[in-house]
Parts: sequence; structure tokens; C-alpha cells
Amino acid sequence: MVAGAWFCLLAPLAGALAITLAGERISRRQAGLVSTLTTFAAFGGALVAFVAMWAREGAEREQLSTAYTWLAAGDFEVGLQILVDPLSAVMMLVVSGVGGLIVWYSLGYMAGDDEERRYFAYMSLFVFSMLLLVEAGNLLLLLVGWGLVGLASYLLIGFWHHRPEAVAAAKKAFVMNAIGDATFALGLVLLVWQARTLELPAVLEEADGLSGTIVTLVALGLLGGALAKSAQLPLHTWLPDAMEGPTPVSALIHAATMVTAGVYLLVRAHPIFEAAPDVQHLAAGLGAATLLLAGLVALVQWDIKRVIAYSTMSQIGYMFLAAGIGAYGFAIFHLVTHAFFKALLFLAAGVVIHHLAGEQDIRRMGGLRAALPRTHVAFLVGTAALVGLPPLAGFWSKDAILASALASGGALGWTLFSAGLLGALLTGAYAFRLYYAVFHGAPPEVSPEPHGPEAAHEPAHGEGPLSMLVPVGALTVLSTLGGLLSVPGVWHPFTHWVSETAEALVEPSTGEDYLTSLVAVTLGLAGLWLARRAFASGRQLVTSPVAWRALEHKLYFDELYDALFYRPAAALAGALRREVEEPVVERSLDELGAGTLELGGGVARVQSGLLRTYALAVALAVFVLVLVFVAVR
Amino acid sequence: MLTTALIVLPVAGALLVAALPLTRVGSAGLAFLVALLEVGLWVVAAARFDFDAGGLQLGTTREWVESLGISYAVGFYGFSLWLAGAAVIVFAAAIGYALWAGRDRPRAYHALMLFLTGAVVATFAAQDVLLFYVAFEAMLIPLYVLVGVWGGERRLVATLTFVVYTMAGSLLMLAAVVAFGVTQGTFSLAGSGTSDNTWIFLGFAVAFAIKAPLFPFHGWLPLAYRQAPVEVAAVLSAIVSKTAIYGFLRIALPKFPEPADELSVVILLLAGAGLVYGSLLAFRAPDLRGIVAYSSLAQMGLITLGVFAVDDLGLDGAVLQSVNHALVSASLFLLVGMVERRCGTGDLAALGGMARGRPVLATVLLVAGMIALAVPGSTTFAGEFLIMAGVYGQGWGYAAIVAVGIVLAAMYTLRLISAVLHVRPGPAVREETLDLRPGELALVLPLVVCLLGLSAWPALVSQSSFPGNDPVRALAEELG
Amino acid sequence: MSGPGIGWYLIVAALLFGTGALGVMLRRSPLIVLLSLELMLNAANLTLIAFARQHGSLDGQVFALAVMAVAAAEVAIGLGLIVAMARRGLPLDVDQASSLRG
Repeated sequence: MVAGAWFCLLAPLAGALAITLAGERISRRQAGLVSTLTTFAAFGGALVAFVAMWAREGAEREQLSTAYTWLAAGDFEVGLQILVDPLSAVMMLVVSGVGGLIVWYSLGYMAGDDEERRYFAYMSLFVFSMLLLVEAGNLLLLLVGWGLVGLASYLLIGFWHHRPEAVAAAKKAFVMNAIGDATFALGLVLLVWQARTLELPAVLEEADGLSGTIVTLVALGLLGGALAKSAQLPLHTWLPDAMEGPTPVSALIHAATMVTAGVYLLVRAHPIFEAAPDVQHLAAGLGAATLLLAGLVALVQWDIKRVIAYSTMSQIGYMFLAAGIGAYGFAIFHLVTHAFFKALLFLAAGVVIHHLAGEQDIRRMGGLRAALPRTHVAFLVGTAALVGLPPLAGFWSKDAILASALASGGALGWTLFSAGLLGALLTGAYAFRLYYAVFHGAPPEVSPEPHGPEAAHEPAHGEGPLSMLVPVGALTVLSTLGGLLSVPGVWHPFTHWVSETAEALVEPSTGEDYLTSLVAVTLGLAGLWLARRAFASGRQLVTSPVAWRALEHKLYFDELYDALFYRPAAALAGALRREVEEPVVERSLDELGAGTLELGGGVARVQSGLLRTYALAVALAVFVLVLVFVAVR
Repeated sequence: MLTTALIVLPVAGALLVAALPLTRVGSAGLAFLVALLEVGLWVVAAARFDFDAGGLQLGTTREWVESLGISYAVGFYGFSLWLAGAAVIVFAAAIGYALWAGRDRPRAYHALMLFLTGAVVATFAAQDVLLFYVAFEAMLIPLYVLVGVWGGERRLVATLTFVVYTMAGSLLMLAAVVAFGVTQGTFSLAGSGTSDNTWIFLGFAVAFAIKAPLFPFHGWLPLAYRQAPVEVAAVLSAIVSKTAIYGFLRIALPKFPEPADELSVVILLLAGAGLVYGSLLAFRAPDLRGIVAYSSLAQMGLITLGVFAVDDLGLDGAVLQSVNHALVSASLFLLVGMVERRCGTGDLAALGGMARGRPVLATVLLVAGMIALAVPGSTTFAGEFLIMAGVYGQGWGYAAIVAVGIVLAAMYTLRLISAVLHVRPGPAVREETLDLRPGELALVLPLVVCLLGLSAWPALVSQSSFPGNDPVRALAEELG
Repeated sequence: MSGPGIGWYLIVAALLFGTGALGVMLRRSPLIVLLSLELMLNAANLTLIAFARQHGSLDGQVFALAVMAVAAAEVAIGLGLIVAMARRGLPLDVDQASSLRG
């Protein structure tokens, strides 16, 4: 079990190192194959670990394995260790499985790019980092994986580094995540002082013994990291811009895996959050706010990838909501199904972009149903799963979250429940708006020249090579069937499995479940109807110009942060430079020098240059000295 | 004996280089060879060093001026051996860079560099306050000349500023050294007890603060780092600054426990201010060297926070971060030098787009930059986390300042990386501008490999810096 | 011990020294200044020898010899300077050689 997990962790790292060190000695295609194979090898390792764990019972399913002491100071030690338990096994499978499919897809998608080797090295680095994040056996190592996925994300968003937008987006993502990393680290510092260890799960057991203030601060620190990584309010602005990266990157990092790390953290560290219920509720509230905001903004976006990106934010909002009310199993369940259908949507969108030689604006798309029949089916399945139409994956997981919100009751539960339902309506509207715009209507004039952000590719019309179609097909199947792992009233193998690590706080009854589903599906279909009506009549979903403008500017968060943080910081730096560094620190020496010169000028007048005055001075001095000597005697 | 050999070898090498009438390449090559031998010698010393036993090892003591209690006493503790190790590696890279860059008057140049190496190692090894002072001052002589003769356009102003600042510090320290030795009756660090005289402590502390430099004593830094030859700037920021940290760890803290405790708030506040201030200025600096120089100021603030946390985590973190910063700052300065040589300028506005077609430069700069900004998993991250955790004991505000520093470091380092590598090629970058040559790679790569190795196992340094892996008790017992 | 007492020697030496000092301070010709300087040195020599005789040790005499050697060297340099000044046509007046003025 442990060996499988270690193999799973190290295989992608070996792949990344091999590609980097081999450099130009291997062809681009070989680099891609190395990356794909090592990722699938990691999946194999994860499977081995999973099966071995399946055969064990209860407490034996959780195992901590330490390779060596990574960092030590005084009596504080942090090992390079992994924790293999049901939760991490699920995450390992998702990360390496979906990761493998997407890397495979990249083989076809990135063919012809100048720097494929670099791309695949980064992808392997990412898979390694993400596996480190989910397998980490202590919180510091989790933070290491946390930071490294941020690094890989930075590298891949800025992959086309000749484009200023891509570089700016990459920097923005990194800095936003650095804020999260910093609060995460502060939380860990508090834990170090309280518990003197960061080892999982020991450190979590300490949570109950901590004072209320401390545990609240720790939880806030961790939540800060989770919000930044998962692009939730108020640290969400980087995710839409991150779409500057290649589409498979958006699928892997900014949809399926990395952005859901925040949810994983909330579930992994649930004892800390349970000890600080206010913070946990805050997480749920922020999740609900994000799912509404992102759903609204998605209604007016024109870029195919940005619409999907906002929907990712929105869906992660659901997961935060679930984790915030203690429905950990459902949060992870939605994480998994979301990984399937969102990766599917992105990859299908990638096929569309590929077909249109880099076009991403949905105003210049349409009628692609005929040209891309298989992609059309895949995209439709993805969209329906996203909206939560039965019996697709999203239906089971999202409705379970809503039912849990209902079951948790109280003012908070009802608020979250209504927000979630409203979100379902919005999801239906924006998801089908996108679907209709891309696949229905009149075919646009396809520009023959490569253009848009991804113009680095050779224009390749059609649905692309097999390496692109097979992963899309596999994800279509997973998006269709993945939800059956947990059917209310019938069986719950998935949530039961996760509950061994994180016992849920709420358990909706079967009645609540089906009631919620009825309402949610109705709302989703209402959204569909709205989108269809608007599309048929050629109108937009948002008709008020004021609202349109506000949404188009993403409710002015970028402008707000620019005015609140960036500008003041830049102005402060400029002012320090002008007012302190140059006049005070640098010029102080000049002033000192000038003062010394002036003083010297005064003394210099004594130095007349007349030999006789000097002699006289000497004589007088001797005379005075003699007098002094005599007097002292 | 080994310690003495580590000091004597480069000095003898300096004399040899100065005396032998070799060709340009010959004398530079000889100097490089001596620097490599010095690294080998350090490896031997490290292999003989028993990190588990702790305490002073590889020591030698000879009477020097018996009547005054002055002795030639040298030896290493775990932390000073690591600092010396970082020093000899950085010096080898710097001398190699000078060989590659082909400095004018190579005999004088390389003799001075080697002499500087010896002086630095002697500073890290000194176990007598007066010997420490002598070595500390001996470093300055070659530095004055190296900056003043081989520096850039405004080298004279830079040298003058540097001289005035450091002389001020030196004189204060001389007074402190004499006062300390006379009141204790001996200058030996092992033989003397502790002192509670705040003024003597301040004399030392100010001298170290100028040498590090700490805010607001950094007036010499921007000019010196910009005007010095790039490898001298590397040595200044990577190694010479760490002699101040050694001074804090070996003299200021263990010998003056009470004054250090009383004044720690002031020092912590200044260090924290320097961390933020340096980071902000690095974020606005218009040139490559400016960014690296001010980031160095910020990092020295950070390390000082760790030292004056006076806590196991903080002290171990400070030593680890000193070694890290030495390697990071040296590799960044050398890379800056290589970029400047190619483009003729370090002006950010004139650079850019160098990643395309120059994969080696891009990869190495990216790796060095990512380690510089302490991406989690790097050894710098390990150091910063320890410092952050350690200084929390002095107040949560300091830990928060470190957190702010992490975010700002990401901002200015990404700015540097992007300005060199990304977007369109700037006016100074031509199509035919070369990638890193194998020779250049051979100079930077060892530094980066050291950093990556430390990233895989930062405990190597943090675990073995202080006797018994118990820094606070070791300091209280004056390092056992 | 015969001959005049130590006091007489000292009086003569003091007179010599005073004459020399006044000469240094009052005269403007460098040659005369140098000459007066020699007078002062010799006054010092005289005291040295007088005390040496009084104490019956040779130390003072040895010192006097050393002083004479130094004086000779000093005269050589001084005269050299004066000759150099004369050759360059500079005025032989110490008051005008004042380029060391601060």
C-alpha cells in the first residue's frame, strides 16, 4: 500500500527530471510520451495502493510513512512523509487518472508547438506537486505541495511567455497564491507553537485542546490558503486570467485538480475547522457567495474558456459550501465528479479551439454540431453534468450538497440552500448559453490563419488525432457514470469511504435528497429554457446595460484590488525611494561630508603657512607646558 | 591545523599569484585552482567534523601577545563551518567568473580576491575578539581596492561611501573590542565571560549592522552593489554580509545576553522594517542589480529577525537562511553579470524576451529565481518558515512581517524573471545574443545544484548548526 | 670633579637655545633660520654633555653624537632645499614660502 503510494508520488517527478535532463536528446514526441507514461504509472501506483487499502480493515487503512527528516530545528522535526488513508487514496486516483488523460490529450493538442518538452516537463512537475499535496503526511509538506502546484501553475499559465497577457496572468496567479501561502504558513506557525508537531493526523487531534482564539486564527490562516488556491472570494480574481495558458492546462490545473485543493484542505483539516465553527461557516458562506457571483459573471463572458473558468469557480463554491457545513463526503464526491465533467468540458472546448485555429470568442463560433459531431456529444454530456441533469455525474453530487444544506437547517442552512438553488438556475443558464452559442446557429466564417492566444499551433481542422479523442471519450463515460458511486437511498460506497477519514456532520435523509433534486433539476431546466429562448430570439441573458457592464468588469474586483493594494504599495515604494532612500539614506553621507569640510575650513585658517608662526606656537606651547609642570609641582 | 590551513592556503595563493610572472590566463587560472583547492580542503574539514559532538572543533590556539591575553585561536562550530563552506564555494564561483570575464591586471585582481577569501574564512574561524577584528578589517582592504579600481563609472563615490560607513563601524567595534578585552582581562572568546555593558554591545551591534547591512545603515549598499564588478558584488552580498551574522551569533548574543535581550525589540523592529523596506525598494528598482541589492537588504533583515528571535527555530533558521542566501544571491548576481555582459545593460526596460531560444539561461534563472522567492519546498522556504516560526515567540507582529515579506519577495522576483526572460525582446537583446555557454553554466550550476540539494534536505544544515541541536542552550553556555 | 659647576653649562646652553629660537622666529632668510636651528641643537648637545659629565656616564655623549649626525643630515637637506629654491629663482624668504597654508 505504502510502496504503491510512494511510487505514485515519485513517478511523475522522475518523468519531469528525465525530460529536463535529456533536453534536446529526445524528440518532442518522446518527451510527451515520457510524461504520459509516468503519469499513468503514477495512476497504477495509486491503484495498487487503493486495492491494498481495500483489502484492509478500519484503522489499518491509515498509514504514515516517513522517508527521512526533511527539516529539523531544536526539538521540532518535519519528515518527508506521506499519509496514505482513504481520503488521500481517492485524491491520488483522481489526480493521476484525470492527469494522465489530460497529459495524453496534450500529446495531440500541443503537437507542433516549439517548446513541447518544456510543456511536458512542467506538466509532470505539476502532477508530482499535486500528488505531494494530497499525499503529504504533515501540514508543512502539504504546504510544500501547495506551493509547488502554484509554481507549476505559474509556469504553465505563462507558458506562452512572449505574450504580455500570459505573463501578467501568471504573475497575478502566483502573487495571489503567495498571499494564500503566507496566511497558510502563519497558521502553521501557530500550530508549531501550540503542538510542536505538524504531523498528520496527530496535529489535528491537538485542535480540540487549543484555545478558541488560537484555533480560530489557525483555521483562518488555512482558510486564506484555501481561498487563494481555489479562487474563492475574495482571492478569486486570478482564475479567469489564468485561462491564458494552454487549454489542457486549464483542464488539469484550473478545473480538475489544483483549484480543488482548497476543498481537500478543508476536509483534510476538518478537526481544526470544526473546533472553529465560525470559520467553517465563513468558508461555507464565501463558497455560496462565490458560486452566485461566478454564475452571474459567467452569463456575460464571450471567451469560451472564461465561461468555463467562471463555472469552475462556481462549482468549487458548492464544494466549499459542502465542506463548510460538514458534508465532507459530498464535498469530495463533487470534487471528483467535477474533475470528470469539467475536464471534459475544457478538453472538448480545446477541440473546438483547435478546430477553429485558436478562436476563443463564442461570438465567432456556431453550428459546430455538424463539423464536430463527437465533440458535440461530449460537450453536451459535460454541460448536462455541470447543470446537474439526471443521471449524469453532477446531478448526484450537487444535489447531495444541496440536500445537506437543507438538512443542516437553521438560518445558515436555509441561506446556503437557497443560494445553491439560485446557483443551479444560473448554471443552467450560462452553461446552455455557451452550448447553444458554440454548437447551434449559423456556422461562422472560420479564419484560416492561426490567431488568438493559442496561435502557436499549426491550424488543424477536425476533431484532432486519436490522442485527443480517446481522453475526451473516457471522460465522457466517467461524467456519465461517475455519479453512480453514491445514489441516495440505494448505496453510498463513496461517501462511506471518505467518512473513514472525515466523518460528516450532516446526513440528509433520502426524502430531503429527492425533494432537493426535484427542485434543483427543475431550476436547472428553467435555466436551460431561458438560455434557449434567448438564443432563439438572438438576445442576451442579461438585458440591463448597467448590470451587463458591471458583470463584464467582473463586478470591478480587479479595479478595486488595484486601487486598494497594488497602487498604494507601488506608491509607497515610490515614496520611500523618493522621500527616504535618496534624501535620507543616500544623501546623509554627502551631508556628513559637507559638514566635515566646513569644519575643516574653519580649522584650516590656523594653518597660515608662515614658518615663524608655527615656531612661535611651538615656543609658546613649550612655555605653557613648563609653567604647568612647575605649577603642578 | 586544518582550520589554519583553510586560512593560510588562499593567502599563500594570493602571494603566489601576485609574485609569479604568469600570463593573464595563467594567473587567473592559478587563482581559480587555489579557490577549488580551498573548496576541497573545506570538504575534508567537513568530513572530519563531528556534527553530532558539537562544540568547537578543528581548533588551534597559540599565544600571540601574552601580556594582553591576545591569542591566535581559530576553530569551527557547526554553524560557522557551514558559513565558511558557503563562502569558499561562492568564492570559487566568483573567481571562476573573473577568470571567464577576463579582468584587467589579473595578478593584482586575483591576489586580492584570494586574500579576501582568506580573510573571510579567518573571520568565520576566529575565536579571539582581537583576531576577529583583525580578520574583519582585513576583508575591507581588498574590497576597497576591488571596488575602487575595477568598479563601474561611479566607483570612486561608491568606494568612498563604503569606506566611510565601514570605517565608522570599524572604529566603534575597535573601541568595543578593546573595552571588552580590557574589562575581561582576555581577548579570547573561550576564556572570557559575559558582559552586561550595553555600550560595548552597541559598539559591536552597530558595526555588524553596517556590515550586514541592516536598515537604516545601508547607505553604502546601492552604490557599492551597482558599481562593484559583479562577482565582487556577489561576494559582498553573499558572504561578507554573513560575517555580520557570525558576529551576532558568536559575539553579540552569547557574550552580551542582557544587553541583547534589552535591545532586541529595537533590533527586531529595525530588521522587520528593513525586510519590508528592502522588498518595496526592490519592487521599484529600475535595474537588475538594484533588485538583487535591495532584496539582499530584505533578506539580511529576515535573517536578523531569526537571530534575535533567540529561539531554537529562529537560530537554526537564521543559519540555514544565511547559507541559502549566500548561494542564491551569488547565483543571481553572477546571472545578472552574464545578462549584463550580453546586453551591455542591466536596465529592465532594455531587456526582455530572452527565454525564447535560450533555454539554459531561462531554466537556470528560473530555478534560481524560484528559490530566491522561497517557493515552498525550496531550502529558502524551509529557512523562512523556521525564522517565521521562531520570531513568532517575540510577537505575532514579526511573524506577520515575515509573511508580508514572502508576498513581496514573490512580487519583485517575478518582476526580475519576467523582465529578463519574458514578452518581447528589449532593445538591448539581439537575435544573436547567446544562451549561457558551457563555461558559464559550469560556474552557476554548482551553486544551483547546492541549492537544490539543500532543498531536498535542509535538515543537513539546520540540524547540525549548534551543539546538541539545541541553539538556545548552546548560546547560553557560550556554545559549549 | 674640577672646572665650572653644572649650572654654568646650563646657563650657556639656555642662552644659546634662546638665541637660536629667536633667530628661527625672527629672521626671514632660510639660511639664517637653518643656522639658528643648529644653534638650538647645539644648545641641547651642550646640556647632554654637561649632564653626562656630571653623572659620569657616557649615555649623554652618545646621544650628542646621534644628534650631531641627525643635524648634519638635516643641514644637508635644508641647504639642498635652499639651493633648489635659489636655482628656481624663488625669493629666499620663509614668509613667502607659505603654500602649506590651509
